Amino acid sequence: MFRQVARWLASSVILLFLITALTFVLASMAPGDAAKAILSSQSGSYTAQQYQQTRRALGIDQPLPVQYWHWLDGVLHGSLGTDLFSSQPVTQELNARLGPSLSIILATVIVSGVVGVSLGIVSALRGGALGRLVDVVSLAGLALPNFWLALVLVELLAVKVQVFPATGYVPLGAGPGPWLRSIALPVLTLSAGAVAFVAKQTRDSVSEVMSREFVVMLRARGLSRRSVVLKHALRNAAIPVVTVVGLLLVSLLGGTVLIEDVFSIPGLGQQAVTAAGSHDLPVIEGVAFYFTVIVVLANLLVDLSYRLLNPRVRGS
Amino acid sequence: MRSLHRVAALCSQGRCVIARRPGVLNPAAAVAAATSLALAACGGQATGSAPAAGSGKPGGVLTVGFSVQAPATLDPAKAPQNYAWFEELAYEPLIVQRSDGSLAPGLATSWSYTGTGNKIFVLHLRPGVKFPDGSPLTAQDVTADLRYVTTAAGQMSAFFAGDTFAATGPLTVTITTAKPNPDFPQILTQDDVIGDVISEKGLSSPSLLGTRTFGAGPYMLDPSQTVAGSQYTYMPNPNYYNKPAARWKKVIIKVITDPQSMLNALKTGQVDVANGDPTTIAAARQAGLTVTSTPDLWVGVTLADRGGGMAKPLANVQVRQALNYATSRAAISSALFPGTGTPTSQLIVPGGYGYEAALTNAYPYDIGKARQLLAAAGYPRGFPLRIVTGEYGGMNLVAQALAQQWQKVGVSLQVTDYANSNQYFAAAFGAKFPSFMTVFGQIPTWVEGPSLFLPPASFNPFRTSSAALAALYQQEALSSGEQQARLDQQIEAYLVGQAWFVPVATIGLPYYATKAVTGTTTSARAPLLELDEVRPAG
Repeated sequence: MFRQVARWLASSVILLFLITALTFVLASMAPGDAAKAILSSQSGSYTAQQYQQTRRALGIDQPLPVQYWHWLDGVLHGSLGTDLFSSQPVTQELNARLGPSLSIILATVIVSGVVGVSLGIVSALRGGALGRLVDVVSLAGLALPNFWLALVLVELLAVKVQVFPATGYVPLGAGPGPWLRSIALPVLTLSAGAVAFVAKQTRDSVSEVMSREFVVMLRARGLSRRSVVLKHALRNAAIPVVTVVGLLLVSLLGGTVLIEDVFSIPGLGQQAVTAAGSHDLPVIEGVAFYFTVIVVLANLLVDLSYRLLNPRVRGS
Repeated sequence: MRSLHRVAALCSQGRCVIARRPGVLNPAAAVAAATSLALAACGGQATGSAPAAGSGKPGGVLTVGFSVQAPATLDPAKAPQNYAWFEELAYEPLIVQRSDGSLAPGLATSWSYTGTGNKIFVLHLRPGVKFPDGSPLTAQDVTADLRYVTTAAGQMSAFFAGDTFAATGPLTVTITTAKPNPDFPQILTQDDVIGDVISEKGLSSPSLLGTRTFGAGPYMLDPSQTVAGSQYTYMPNPNYYNKPAARWKKVIIKVITDPQSMLNALKTGQVDVANGDPTTIAAARQAGLTVTSTPDLWVGVTLADRGGGMAKPLANVQVRQALNYATSRAAISSALFPGTGTPTSQLIVPGGYGYEAALTNAYPYDIGKARQLLAAAGYPRGFPLRIVTGEYGGMNLVAQALAQQWQKVGVSLQVTDYANSNQYFAAAFGAKFPSFMTVFGQIPTWVEGPSLFLPPASFNPFRTSSAALAALYQQEALSSGEQQARLDQQIEAYLVGQAWFVPVATIGLPYYATKAVTGTTTSARAPLLELDEVRPAG
């Protein structure tokens, strides 16, 4: 057990290092830099001397490996650096935006998981037309651009019938009701395609398991269909579904960017786009760090789920 | 400087998609919707200033929608003018710009030039003013603040280069300029931001100016209710000298960059007033919102390489004039700015500094004349011309339209389009292209010079100079009143005659407001909506 944990930790650290280093290199290759962005926004034109002074003040005149080392050194001391534009600690800025993003992502995963699995099971067991309907709906859900869907839902559920707010985010601390209402439309938007995805995977998995011999034998022993499905078949069908849900969580990290823009939600995605456009390297690195940690934790949860669901994995 | 920086509020039309057909709704989404509806029953108030929260009633919450990327800094010495709203709530300016274009006392109760040549400007400060920390406003505060502006390397810092600031009395400030400056009253207002006075406490900790406010204005930024980049909350300043003018118990500025989202926020009462977008004006009117728009920007081309170092043809005035004649301004204006754009050959809007009605149609659309001029200049078959554009104010769409129109005279416009404004600025101002698309505002001519057409101007990256223009500018700097107005017109006439630019249309920055508020008027000389004039309706 200890060896497994150590292996997991080591691989996570290596992954963090690789992702942040790659992000550093890629961000540096984009044309322009933060000094130009700052000087352009402040005064439009600037002299070469001002440009070099600004680069020195920001620390971006150093060679890339030196800059990365300084950043890494900061991380080892608990700091993700300072926003080049606002001079605020990156950690402070990103923590303020973590809540909105995680709220939407986790709520989407939960809604997609519950609804998707339910639909998938029903269509797998009923089969026939319902099964085909799930296929069609899956395709439609995946094909619908979520930007368009967001606008439609806002028009229907926020503007015409003012059930939900059209924009903004209310933190959980302000009350669970307002919080849920503020994330309802973004979650609905993101869930549309995700539910379809999960439902299809669930239907396929359950159908495959239900056709196995052990299920036939269980039914032959007189167990009810409900009991066979809930106590035996689902457990066996769950692993691919759990994998898909894990992938969904990871894909939502990038998928929330557009939704945060449409609903004006101060999340990590919005921050990432702003930072990328301004060459704000510490913030870009910070977002990459946060996203990588989330991906690592998501993978850990998926692995732990495998162990819970499959005794053979537990023992290996 | 109401420059293109300010008008980054406008989005390109291509960004705005409005779905009118419900389309196919995913049943799963419908199921989830039903679930959420049940959850909604537990919920409370929507975010933003819903009407029930007091919007529109005295002492309520004013929520302002801001459609541009959030400011990188709240330091008034560094913040570009398009972030004036963030500053004017907390910082009282020396002189107040009213929405009708007139000037009113702010922290200065009176001001004047002394002597001749517009070189000595005296301000008499208001007694009894205190900053939020309780410290009184003194002449030393103002001089320290103006010195800080000079060294802050902000947009307007250059206007104070070489100036000296002296506290010539407890409440008297004397500014002595190295060069004549006829427009001190205009540039010391909230619209140019640098007139906002920072307290001694703020100046002693300049690193805090980026995220906190230290002004003597009607409100103060509340960091605990502020999310940088998204929402800025201002609470009343208990020490404000004119408390009745602080009408709201709270003012919130929400950054909503998507034009349709902004419109939805207004329709649902989450936002009371906002800067709008030309693509949503019709929808805003249909929704019953108050739409205010005063033409205050021109969109067109800056033919920057007038020396011909990069694009030799541009060195010839006949070529530049030909490009003006080859532009069908009416077609572009009606297609891209329906209802808000006015075709123009000049840089000034009616009522603006140096406006002359006769110049509006100085270059009527005339392909024959354009070809004639090109042939006379030695380019009968035209020439290729590189141009860079950003994506706000519709400039990229205008560039596409011009590419088609100029093709008729053989000018092949090679457009480089940067969605990222910073990249566009760097390319345009960095003399990387011989021409660039431009959206520029209305400012006093004396201020316009170092911004637009004099050698050190951002919009003059190739540092083109003209002795005639410089002479006119020098005379303008020494003038006042009617003489100044005449010189303004002569400068603008010179720019049009020499065709340094190809203005296409004047457009206005629209503002939208719900019926719950009023006081949202603007004018040619005060095109920015003044938040201190917004008040509950009724």
